[in-house]
Amino acid sequence: MTTCAVQTSAAIELYFYDELDASERAFVGQHLRTCRECRAALDELTMIRAALASRSEIAAPPGGDWAPFMARLEAAVARERQRSKVVPITRPRPVDRARLRVRHNLASYVAMAAILTLATTSVVYLARTRGARPPETTTVTTGARPITETPPPTPAAAGSTVIERRAPSSVDTSAAGPERTDAAFASVSEQHFERSKLVVLGLAAKNPSEASAEDWSYERQLASSLLDDTRLYRHAAQERGMKTLAGVLSDLELVLLQASMSDERDRATLERIQRLIRKRDLMTKMNAVTTAGI
Amino acid sequence: MVDSDLITRAAGGDPAAFQALVERHRSMVYRVAYQFAGNHHDAEDIAQEVFIKIYRSLDGFRQDAQLTSWIYRIVMNACIDHRRRQSPAVSSAFGDDADQTLRNMPEETPGPEERAYAGELGVVLEGAIAKLPPGQRLVFVMRHHQGLKLGEIAEALGLAEGTVKRQLHAAVHRLRDALRATSACPERARGVATGGRV
Repeated sequence: MTTCAVQTSAAIELYFYDELDASERAFVGQHLRTCRECRAALDELTMIRAALASRSEIAAPPGGDWAPFMARLEAAVARERQRSKVVPITRPRPVDRARLRVRHNLASYVAMAAILTLATTSVVYLARTRGARPPETTTVTTGARPITETPPPTPAAAGSTVIERRAPSSVDTSAAGPERTDAAFASVSEQHFERSKLVVLGLAAKNPSEASAEDWSYERQLASSLLDDTRLYRHAAQERGMKTLAGVLSDLELVLLQASMSDERDRATLERIQRLIRKRDLMTKMNAVTTAGI
Repeated sequence: MVDSDLITRAAGGDPAAFQALVERHRSMVYRVAYQFAGNHHDAEDIAQEVFIKIYRSLDGFRQDAQLTSWIYRIVMNACIDHRRRQSPAVSSAFGDDADQTLRNMPEETPGPEERAYAGELGVVLEGAIAKLPPGQRLVFVMRHHQGLKLGEIAEALGLAEGTVKRQLHAAVHRLRDALRATSACPERARGVATGGRV
């Protein structure tokens, strides 16, 4: 059993893979002179490298014959070419809503109702704020950390979420450049947010002590199907200078990635994802962004 | 012709340019896919998916970006996507394949003892790698076999570097366990690590 703190901190692997900076490396090097346990661990890593190096690398199909592979790829590319002629814009994959309706449990609906209430409250609040203050800035207090790097123009309480509104139906916190609203982008990313909310809500609403792996396998599957598009939208938002939206998409991407990539679908994993959702205050942010308009 | 020219031409609809691009990078893609999947069937599916994704993204490739990093990123995502699509029944076959590999392990060709022992260990470790959870397996393959830095892996996967570090630590921990279980004779095993000098 490992007793050395240096070893349990993964420093030996990082030393082996040359991932430490000079001072850390010097420290571990010094430690290795005196710690037999860590030296043994380093030896084992060297042994793993030597043993794996003895295996031949496979970098081609059986027999080195690429012809079937290339033929298959050529056919697939031809189909892609055909498809791109018919559908010029890649749209997010449709979600099987019927299946989703069946699979969602009562807790999800309760959570959705809560979010709906929050959304309504935010809309009312925004409407009132818009009437009472200049239209440049809207502050929504959520108890989360700020989601923009731009300092709020009014002294906001610690932990408030600030969404800048330069114009109705746009969220753009870039430096004083011209407003760049892409209606098509706004439309598809709003739809995407709505679909993603179902995953986030579904995961957040589960009770880890009662949920089995099967109970949230659908959320995992849906998270997986939304991941690529989320990434694309994040890039698009970044390119358009929509920092707030890009930030929320980045948080969403992280949650979707963790959900879809989790190796173990046990209680601890679900709890970790739920902590991440809470820590990033993702539901509130998504809600605030869609309420404010993309 | 350099990669960037091939990409420009392929993006403009030149099939020969795209084919040349595939031929140039297919070995690297297949190698990573095979190291991740552990069998030709899945490796080929992953490699196909990678090149289709590349084809779809030709327009979006930034000329100032590093092509191999871009391809690595696509390969890593394709590996994860592929694993995600596997049904539980199929995913358990990862382990079965590894067991099958062990059962069908050929007799080592005669040679120096340590080299033969390293060969045995290699087979055992390949089996252990195939049984790693996909996240750990991917991080190990990309760091150990492909030599990517943890920061690069983290960036490609959109994860915190600490998460990638933990995945690597867990993977190495499991492989060391597998190694210890196999090393009935530590002195002999140590000989492999030190190139035969026990």
